Amino acid sequence: MNTYLDTLPTYVDKIKAFRDIIITNIVLIGEKSAPTFKEKSRVKLFMERLAEFQVDECSVDSYQNPIGIIRGAAKNKPPIFVVAHLDTLVDRQDFFNYTVKRNSISGPGVADNSTGVGVLISLPWIIKELNLQFQSDIVLAGVIQSIGKGNLRGVRHLLKTWEGPIRGAVCVEGVELGRFNYYSEGMLRGEIECTASPTSNKTHRPNPNAILILNEILNKILELRLPQKPYSRIVIGKMNGGYHYGRDALEGNIGFEIHSNADDIVKEIINDIKDIVESIKRIYEVDLKLKILSNLNATRLEFNHPLVKTTNTIMNKLNLEPISASSESELSIFLSKSIPAVTLGVTNTNKDSIDTSIEIEPIFKGITQIIGVMQAIDNGVCDGKKLA
Amino acid sequence: MGKNWLESNTFHHSKFADIGNLVKAKQEKSLIISLCLPTLNEEKTIAKEIVIMKSELMDRHKLLDEIIVIDSGSSDKTREIADHYGADVYLSDDILPNLEPYKGKGENLWKALFIAKGDIIVYLDTDIKNIHHRFAYALIGPLLLQEGIKYTKAFYDRPIAEGANGIRPTGGGRVTELVIRPLFALFFPELTQIVQPLSGEYAGYRSLFEKLLFPIGYGIETSMIIEIYKNWGLDVIAQVDLDRRVHRNQSTKSLGKMSFAILQRFLARISDYGMIQLKTELYDQMKQFVHLPQVYQQEIYAFQKQERPPMITIPEYREKFINR
Repeated sequence: MNTYLDTLPTYVDKIKAFRDIIITNIVLIGEKSAPTFKEKSRVKLFMERLAEFQVDECSVDSYQNPIGIIRGAAKNKPPIFVVAHLDTLVDRQDFFNYTVKRNSISGPGVADNSTGVGVLISLPWIIKELNLQFQSDIVLAGVIQSIGKGNLRGVRHLLKTWEGPIRGAVCVEGVELGRFNYYSEGMLRGEIECTASPTSNKTHRPNPNAILILNEILNKILELRLPQKPYSRIVIGKMNGGYHYGRDALEGNIGFEIHSNADDIVKEIINDIKDIVESIKRIYEVDLKLKILSNLNATRLEFNHPLVKTTNTIMNKLNLEPISASSESELSIFLSKSIPAVTLGVTNTNKDSIDTSIEIEPIFKGITQIIGVMQAIDNGVCDGKKLA
Repeated sequence: MGKNWLESNTFHHSKFADIGNLVKAKQEKSLIISLCLPTLNEEKTIAKEIVIMKSELMDRHKLLDEIIVIDSGSSDKTREIADHYGADVYLSDDILPNLEPYKGKGENLWKALFIAKGDIIVYLDTDIKNIHHRFAYALIGPLLLQEGIKYTKAFYDRPIAEGANGIRPTGGGRVTELVIRPLFALFFPELTQIVQPLSGEYAGYRSLFEKLLFPIGYGIETSMIIEIYKNWGLDVIAQVDLDRRVHRNQSTKSLGKMSFAILQRFLARISDYGMIQLKTELYDQMKQFVHLPQVYQQEIYAFQKQERPPMITIPEYREKFINR
């Protein structure tokens, strides 16, 4: 029983033998620019690499998510999904230069998520060389339009159009090793845009200033009373406005997220914010727009769900300390469809350059845990179990 | 002029993307292939180059049999990193130690012939930012699949890296266009069909390289092409389009030094072949100005005029490769 758990630690050194292939995949993927909505060249490379690794079926779905399927031994078992988002926060550039050092890889977007994608496309080679057999088909999917305004469109479409049940899923993120997400808070991402035109000012007040008006809105938002239970918060994440030191700002915007363990609270808060925006709009007679960019329901695997317990066991076997937090990502979409899923991190950021450099050595343990969870799902740990 | 050479001997790298096919051809011909990387303080780029070549052309496909690094005495971690990633690393001065050591890329390439086991040798520069395994397999392709080809040369679009990740789309190949191409047009019109005669990426059969002179410093590429052309003809040469190579920008002053050395070598070579008669020995120094406030200061650049004889004339080499 649990033989896969016993042999799991031995995989770390075996996977280390494929170091060069894994690094190559991370570098080749990372050097292809892929800001959200412009992932085409990375999609192409993803497909080429899977084809070169002789994955049984390679295709793109109707939304241009690249997918590879490693056929399993049993025809009647639903597939296991392994996904990584292809898009990065880094703006489009003609060429990204990645640097490999003795124990690090550096380059724009390496942590989020070139490493996750590079590891994903290395899995066919690793599975073949380790002679691993799965009963289920393994579906390797790079999902596009995931972060920011992408609003998880790629994974939403993938799951919406996938025919048939899915046994379980692993979402792969580049960092940090030990990251273990199995629940998502209710989340709403929005933006408030203010456009102030001096000519439209019909009163005798001074010219409207977009930054000051947005500041009014912020102050009103900060006055909102948020419950401690269910735990709820508003994150003001970004702000832009104005062009010139000596002129009133005519344009500005703020970006925010509402998080709560309860979907109802998210709705209440966004209604409050709508009221605030409407009232300020009337007072100052400016153009104020509230845009909802993304909306996710709160969803979770319970702590005693077999997939959560087994993932904990796998990480303990590998001497990894699980760090759990809410994750509003691909995971949310799987869980919202009642598909058991977890998100795992692959390696550590390099302490010298947190945003743009990752450590090589921990990758091998990171991949081992992913394979362990895939094997756990293949052994039926999620079969017939409800999410909560 | 061979009108069809440009069409018949110019290839795009995609023609050789079926690496399995190349491995098959290599095995059928029982050939050994060596990749040689000459280095001097390349710790920022050497690891990526070795890792990608090893992953794609040694681990996944058995196209390369060895990767050797010949180092001129780097003061950074080039040798340590190259060794960590599995290349066979040599200090140039330690090879053929009974010969007076020189410093230069040509010296490293020449000594690689003594160290490498390959019947085919691939030479790649190590400052390539966008390194990809096509840089090696596409140069090997014509040597394995095209009858009569003995030497392949890379050409590409040459954007210049600027800052962290920005690139400038044009501006590369200035020495080619201002120095080499006019000279070739004057003396070897057929060679003007070679798009980038100065590219640092080329491959060929040992049987050809071992019979060539190897200038120590700049000028190795020019000398090599002229010798191959004069001794074997244009038809043994092929050129391969590698799409793009992102490289470090060089100052105009550096390119001036490079041009000086190339001109020296070019004149020496055409003099060897009796195409011109030099009535006086050429000077081997060039002066350049350093711009300082209110001072006119000159820097003197001394040209490395040494060149190594054909490797086949070296007794140790003959003992190791010819008389074995």
